Amino acid sequence: MAEAIVRVRDLYKSFTRGTESIDVLQNLSLDVAEAEFLSLMGPSGSGKTTLLNLIAGLDQPTAGTITVGDQEISSMSESELARWRTRNVGFVFQFYYLLPVMTAYENVELPLLLLQLTAAQRKRQVETALDLVGLSDRMSHRPGQLSGGQQQRVGIARAMVTDPTLIVADEPTGDLDSKSADEILNLMEILRAQLGKTIIMVTHDPKAAARAQRTLHLEKGKLVDDVMNAPQPMRV
Amino acid sequence: MYEQMATSGAPLSIDSAMPLLSLYSFFLMGLLIGAVCLVGIATLPLFFAIIYAISLILKALSNGGSLFFKIALLMFRGLLRSPLRTSLSYLALFVLTAVLACIYTVINFIGIVTTEKDSNFKVIVTEKYTIPSQMPPAYEQRVIDLLGELPKDLQPVNGADDVIAWSFVGGTTDPTNPRPENAIFMFCVDPLKITTMMDGLEKKDLTDSEYAEMQRLTALMKEDYKRIIVSKARLDKMNLKVGQKIKITSLFYKDIVFDFEIIGELPDAKYEGVGFCSREYLDRMLSSFSKSHNNEQHPLADKCVNLIWVRVPKKESYERLAAVVNDPKYFSGPAAKMETASAGIGSFLDAYKDIFFGMKFILCPAMVGIMSLVIANAISISVRERRGEMAVLKVLGFRPVHVMSLILSEAILIGFFAGFMSTFLCWWLLGNVKIQIAFLGAFFVPSIVMLYGTILGMAVAFVGSIGPALSARKIKVSDVFAKVA
Repeated sequence: MAEAIVRVRDLYKSFTRGTESIDVLQNLSLDVAEAEFLSLMGPSGSGKTTLLNLIAGLDQPTAGTITVGDQEISSMSESELARWRTRNVGFVFQFYYLLPVMTAYENVELPLLLLQLTAAQRKRQVETALDLVGLSDRMSHRPGQLSGGQQQRVGIARAMVTDPTLIVADEPTGDLDSKSADEILNLMEILRAQLGKTIIMVTHDPKAAARAQRTLHLEKGKLVDDVMNAPQPMRV
Repeated sequence: MYEQMATSGAPLSIDSAMPLLSLYSFFLMGLLIGAVCLVGIATLPLFFAIIYAISLILKALSNGGSLFFKIALLMFRGLLRSPLRTSLSYLALFVLTAVLACIYTVINFIGIVTTEKDSNFKVIVTEKYTIPSQMPPAYEQRVIDLLGELPKDLQPVNGADDVIAWSFVGGTTDPTNPRPENAIFMFCVDPLKITTMMDGLEKKDLTDSEYAEMQRLTALMKEDYKRIIVSKARLDKMNLKVGQKIKITSLFYKDIVFDFEIIGELPDAKYEGVGFCSREYLDRMLSSFSKSHNNEQHPLADKCVNLIWVRVPKKESYERLAAVVNDPKYFSGPAAKMETASAGIGSFLDAYKDIFFGMKFILCPAMVGIMSLVIANAISISVRERRGEMAVLKVLGFRPVHVMSLILSEAILIGFFAGFMSTFLCWWLLGNVKIQIAFLGAFFVPSIVMLYGTILGMAVAFVGSIGPALSARKIKVSDVFAKVA
């Protein structure tokens, strides 16, 4: 197995609701290897999205450590995490979350605005990302003018435009028909295999989960199963 | 009479006209706000057109890759995404800045006319206890005589030419059916003093051509006392033209009919709605009255001077002169008083001081507060609706301060446009309508109001949006996505 790029150790996360404390993740440890495609499954409330948010630096653990690459993100401040995310993490959401007032090109360019890049560099990276997801001809379209699958592809282009080491996806196929879902999963597979991206995907769909190399099952905040999936051919 | 009231110990009752006046003021304020709302709505398409045009320009500029233009584009597009909410914020700020601009203008105007000067200022002689004053013509000469008795350095620079007596003449061309369309009000004065002693008609107040024309007209009036000059607005209202001869039956001076010849118009926006006639004509008419009425004097013959204005060079001149005029030994039938023009106007406005106080210290802060709440409400809704979007920006690496700035800048942009457009329209519309307040000259909105209004609009937008912006800043990404999931 390749060297672990994500290392989670003794992770706890609890939320307080009123006077009640709810343990969402309990004593969880896991490693994700570089260029691995990992899926997280489990029933609602099992803590898979919470785990994803913690690994992506969107939230901070109650206890335990998370290290991505050589940086321990669990001890970073909110501003440090924001800076770290820009460079190191790409996000893909179930509902795409594209800004409706911006074109596909502008949406993909958004994360680059925070980096010290020249206009030419930004242009080249955006065009490359959109080309990779097959939307070079839809650059000037706004999200409302694109289908769900196309919007999600813009979302993927936005996630990878900064060339992050890690891509996290929360139910990326949850809002799509099976054909579009296949296209998205193929794209993710390409990102992993050809560009060496590490992908962590939360899903409820066993078929989607089976497209990953490994599937982790969570229940009540604990890791209950770790399954290596059989390699599957890319469906076109 | 007032002294009697003061010493009688009788309780003072509340003036029954006050509730009516208050209601009228509220009605006027409501009317003003309603009218401003309508103007604001009418300007909405222009506002959105400007925002859209700027967006296009920014889009073109941002194609060059400039980060600044890209962020600015994001702000402008944010304004276009929810036209209803943007319109609401715009209208609230538009009404606020327009009404406050009007209030500021009124208060500023009062400030200017009631500011005391130290040198070369005008003072007024009026009756002490009666409004309007009805003083004998001899009072004018008596004041001139008193001026002559002052030490040389305290005397008016131009001697008797720095004294002017006003008589008010109101009349109609149709005495059987006097109506606003056939009535006229005139200042009856020495024609040669019109361009030296009438506020707004002096050389400093007119263009060279206007001044030259006024000089020509007043010289003609002096040549023939029947000649008059009238404002264009009044001529239009009465359907009269320059060159026409008219008969005016006086409404103030019973049984006196004037034969006037209209020889010219007053300069634009000066003494709108009124005219000027020669004192000599009124004096002659009052003198001849007795001949046709069995040697009986006209009842107003000794009461025909309504105001006397004096331009004094120094404060000391005024103080010494006022001491004599205010002394009943010298001016007793009727008793007179002398006060500075600003104090005179101030006393006249004293009756309205509660209204001005209310406008300044209750209405203005209340409006600022209410409009801030309206803005806060509109921006809060916007932030609530865009929580997902804000969360995504944070996910992509935008820091909390970026998100907060985006919300604040959108609100401030609306404040800028609403503030500028409303005050610009106030300035432009009122500048062109030229509303006249009594004899104080055309009411104008100072151009500085555009700057103040714009700053006020931006400040209120800032205050109103700071709460929602802070809440946007604190949006927790994991909470937003957890709720969506």
